[in-house]
Amino acid sequence: MPCAESLRVQAYFDGELDAIGAAEIERHCETCAECRELLRDLELLRTALRQDLTYAATPPALRDRIMRALDQESAASGARAVPKRFADWRSRPFWKGAFSAVGATAIAASLAFFLLAPPLSDPLLSDLVSAHVRSLMPDHLIDVASTDKHTVKPWFAGHTDVSPVVADFADQGYRLIGGRADYLDHQRAAVVVYQHGSHVINVFSWATARSGRPRAITRNGYHLSFWSAGNLEYCAVSDTGWDELDGLVRLLQALDAQDKRG
Amino acid sequence: MDDRRRRFEVLVLPHLDAAHRFARWLSHSSIDADDILQEAILRAFRGFDGLRGSDAKAWLLTIVRNCHFTALEQQRRRAQVPLPHENDAQDGRALVATTPDPEITSMRRDEERTLDRLMAALPQEQREILVLREIEEMDYREIAAVINIPIGTVMSRLARARAALKARWLKESAGEPHAVR
Repeated sequence: MPCAESLRVQAYFDGELDAIGAAEIERHCETCAECRELLRDLELLRTALRQDLTYAATPPALRDRIMRALDQESAASGARAVPKRFADWRSRPFWKGAFSAVGATAIAASLAFFLLAPPLSDPLLSDLVSAHVRSLMPDHLIDVASTDKHTVKPWFAGHTDVSPVVADFADQGYRLIGGRADYLDHQRAAVVVYQHGSHVINVFSWATARSGRPRAITRNGYHLSFWSAGNLEYCAVSDTGWDELDGLVRLLQALDAQDKRG
Repeated sequence: MDDRRRRFEVLVLPHLDAAHRFARWLSHSSIDADDILQEAILRAFRGFDGLRGSDAKAWLLTIVRNCHFTALEQQRRRAQVPLPHENDAQDGRALVATTPDPEITSMRRDEERTLDRLMAALPQEQREILVLREIEEMDYREIAAVINIPIGTVMSRLARARAALKARWLKESAGEPHAVR
């Protein structure tokens, strides 16, 4: 019979608990050997899955085939109305679930999100997402390919206006794969590129005097996490989970703090 | 290129790789993942006007999943004989070794790797939830939307899937000490 808290321990591991719930689970694990072992197993399994599974990118031939099919479809769809069949994807399960407690919570959560979120008119947010998406196109990701920070960091000095923190966090699951220059907020921004499992994380950095940007925001399925250090503003963009993105943000912040002390 | 197509390329196509990975893991050996992916993208394009907000990825993966089950159903009906159900395969090697699909044969070199093989041997419903959580890194709410199950079920199914994979992993390492790192 597993410990009654095992599902909550899993939710804690997956970053699904609020601060109070997380504190409760941390306290529980101090006295429950079984749940401590569960946490270890979850971590082992995740590390193994993210490192060892085969990730195939879409083969170019398949991508071409799909683009051609889309061309035909675009040409044809000009002539006729769009079928309604999939148009209600969102509304159906959403309203069905709305009467359950979970659904109600989801509505409350999304309402809170809309109420608390600052206005999204900031063009920089769109620029960041576009730059991230553009970087995923073939041959756009990296200008300088290296897993060595001593190669990437000096490269920025000649190609951008800023000098961000750079490090390889392969041991923590964030592999440094290179750097890129991008134009952002009217200046040459530095982009450090990390790979996390099958996901690419772009860490943008540029000089700024502005503040008051949202700390975290989701746009079109991409998470954007902002922070600043010294006179630099950073933004990490990816389609990883929040937990995974925050993991890298914490590592970079710690590194920045360390650099300042040293 | 018209505006609608452009918006589709900006909003949805960046998730093509995720959709491709998901289609591969979903269908695994049972059906052609490339066809599923193409059908899903076309359906997504036709139903694109129904996409609102920021859930493009979850939305696309839901369509991939629907296409997969539709194709599977058609294949079963055409064959008149039910395919051996994946859940019946207790051993990953048995399942992989009997697939005739040439694409899978070429994948097999990669699948010498233990975890690929163990994942392949999991029941489809456990495999897909592990892929969504651990590979696609979606949160419980997004997973619930893709699979169309309540969040509570996401939690229990995920726990079962993780326990099952761990059990197979332990069994594997007990049987073949060199198979696991």
